[in-house]
Amino acid sequence: MSAAMQSGPVTREITPRIARWVVAGLALVWAVPFWWMLVAAFRPAGSGADASLLPSLTPTLANFAEAWASADFPLYFLNSAVLCAGILAVQLVTASLAGYVFARLEFPGRGFLFALFLVQLMLVPVVLLVPNLKTVAALGLYDTLPGVMAPYCATAFGTFLMRQSFREVPRELEDAAMIDGAGWWARIRLIYLPLTKPALVAFSIVSVTSHWNEFLWPLMVINSPDKRPLTLGLASFTLSAEGMQAWGLIAAGTFLVSLPLLAAFLIFQRRFVNSFLASGIK
Amino acid sequence: MISWWKGAALALVAAAGLAAPRPAFATDIELFFPVPVDGALARNMSGLIKEFNDSHPDIKATPVFTGSYDDTLLKTRASIKAGKPPAAVIMSANFLTDLAIEREIVPMDDLIGKDGKTQDAFTGQFFPALLPNAVIDRKVYGVPFHNSTPLLYINADHFKEAGLDPEKPPRTWAELTDAARKLTKREGDRTTRWGLMMPSNYDYGGWILEALTMSNGGRYYNEEYGGEVYYDTPTMLGALTFWSDLVHKAKVHPAGEQKGPAVTGAFLAGQASMMIISTGSLTFIRDTAKFPFRVAFVPMNVRQAVPIGGASLVQPAGLSAEKRAAGWTLIQWLTSPEKSGWWSRATGYFAPNKAAYDLPEMKTFLEKNPDAKIAVDQLANAKPWFATYRTVPVRKAIEDELQSVLAGKRQPKEALAAAQKAADALMRPYVEDTALRLPGAE
Repeated sequence: MSAAMQSGPVTREITPRIARWVVAGLALVWAVPFWWMLVAAFRPAGSGADASLLPSLTPTLANFAEAWASADFPLYFLNSAVLCAGILAVQLVTASLAGYVFARLEFPGRGFLFALFLVQLMLVPVVLLVPNLKTVAALGLYDTLPGVMAPYCATAFGTFLMRQSFREVPRELEDAAMIDGAGWWARIRLIYLPLTKPALVAFSIVSVTSHWNEFLWPLMVINSPDKRPLTLGLASFTLSAEGMQAWGLIAAGTFLVSLPLLAAFLIFQRRFVNSFLASGIK
Repeated sequence: MISWWKGAALALVAAAGLAAPRPAFATDIELFFPVPVDGALARNMSGLIKEFNDSHPDIKATPVFTGSYDDTLLKTRASIKAGKPPAAVIMSANFLTDLAIEREIVPMDDLIGKDGKTQDAFTGQFFPALLPNAVIDRKVYGVPFHNSTPLLYINADHFKEAGLDPEKPPRTWAELTDAARKLTKREGDRTTRWGLMMPSNYDYGGWILEALTMSNGGRYYNEEYGGEVYYDTPTMLGALTFWSDLVHKAKVHPAGEQKGPAVTGAFLAGQASMMIISTGSLTFIRDTAKFPFRVAFVPMNVRQAVPIGGASLVQPAGLSAEKRAAGWTLIQWLTSPEKSGWWSRATGYFAPNKAAYDLPEMKTFLEKNPDAKIAVDQLANAKPWFATYRTVPVRKAIEDELQSVLAGKRQPKEALAAAQKAADALMRPYVEDTALRLPGAE
């Protein structure tokens, strides 16, 4: 009896401690590439210690200067920002409207239509490159930023997420608003959107990070050097197939590219985490 | 809200378009170019095109960076299908056969004729080894721009340390293995220095394996026909077993996939004493290495032979006559002895145009850098680069197997049988459309 009584408090103390160590260990593993990037970015070129995680004793900003000079970063930043903001703005509208339709409106074939929508998630983006490019060219959007944004106007993932979130909103709220004479737009705006804010925020983060990092599709659409987003600009001086890579330069460039996302994450960290928890994406 | 951002984006696009000054009546063309070598060269390309535009006021060429060789193929194909082909593309030389079979690129014989040249006079400017990857079905589909062969690079200090003579790099597989054994350093179970490294990532792995197969007396594919590869053959089994044994038996080469930049990195850091890698890396190695190094022919088993690599300039189908003519002007300018010689000195690739080597600046350069001559000398033993119908997936079929052999997951024999089966399935549509079809039977 006494043994059973004692084991309770003991496990309660040990388990969280183990969990904490495990989490700390995972965080450390996760942080290694970031740490390496920082170390490599500040290391003088040609020091030969490319794989080392130890910071150089003579840190230098030369890599940043070279990266900054070798590509038109301010313009690429602007292009990437326009792309991500544009895509997100349209997606928030289309995803919440479609989510509402699939969550609340009754019509024949709804289940089938929704399943069809979800099939999008199974497609490998590469197979859609040529059909999408044909459409974009037919619309006169080849080599334009709206051309890069066009295929993302509808989002299967966003629609799915918003549908699930809308379904969790009590129907009574909507019914009450209906009795007060609110139209569908007012109901979405005043009831559904405010209550599903965490899902909207979570979706926005996923959308912005994925489009910020996208390479292949912008590569297909964009020709003009002045319309390149960051990923293309970065790749144009860091990719190499037969040569050798200048790691310091790549690290500095990568750091510049990821800086806005990192900064946003650090500033809004708590809100991000909360919205992910609330929306069920982990 | 939608109209606001769209309007803003369109305004931005319009402003960007207006900002670039252009002379009246200039022909706008685009040049797609990959970055097969160190990134600084992507910037040099922009400078080169600016020089072209300044000297040709009636043409405005835009250099469009298109990623790796494989990405460039993807983008070119997509742009042709979307009806927006560029006027010229620097295309990996082994994709030309596939593009010609699919009629995605056009022969340039009419343009050559207009210049008052015969085909022989035109192709005669280039090293003969390059022609099988440029002339298909007796039509000129590509103009060689920069080319390469694999080379053996050795660390001279390590050679001396191991009691080897750096002036006599290994010439045969036996000598290569022997040297690699002496050069490899171990501390207990850990290897601190590898005797030899060869890249096995996509695109590179297939090329190096082709070099070994050729050195073993074999052929990789049917040079005359785009639907046959010789993966499951004794010569290739010998080549793959050799590579596998270096890893798993002699333990002088690291296991698993080795990426090209990682191999160069290990060599430069002194963690690998020898490497077989493209001559395209030569300038970078020369500028970066902090130790004396030498380059040599790829060691042979049965015969001295290597595949060529690199890229040619091609013109996609579906261009207007005006754009074709402008693109042709650009292609000829880029492949002239002066420009291709300059590019060769900047990169380490050799200049395909033989006349480039008669220019005084090239002679001075080669006197100062005799290592740059080795790749040119090796051209005498060079053969065409692996080119078939659907080159990329057919090449990946063998590279996937190569990687699993190097990782120790498969034996060479079964790997080659699997690769052959996969490649045959990929090439089947073409084979059934040509070789296996009774003429006239539909």
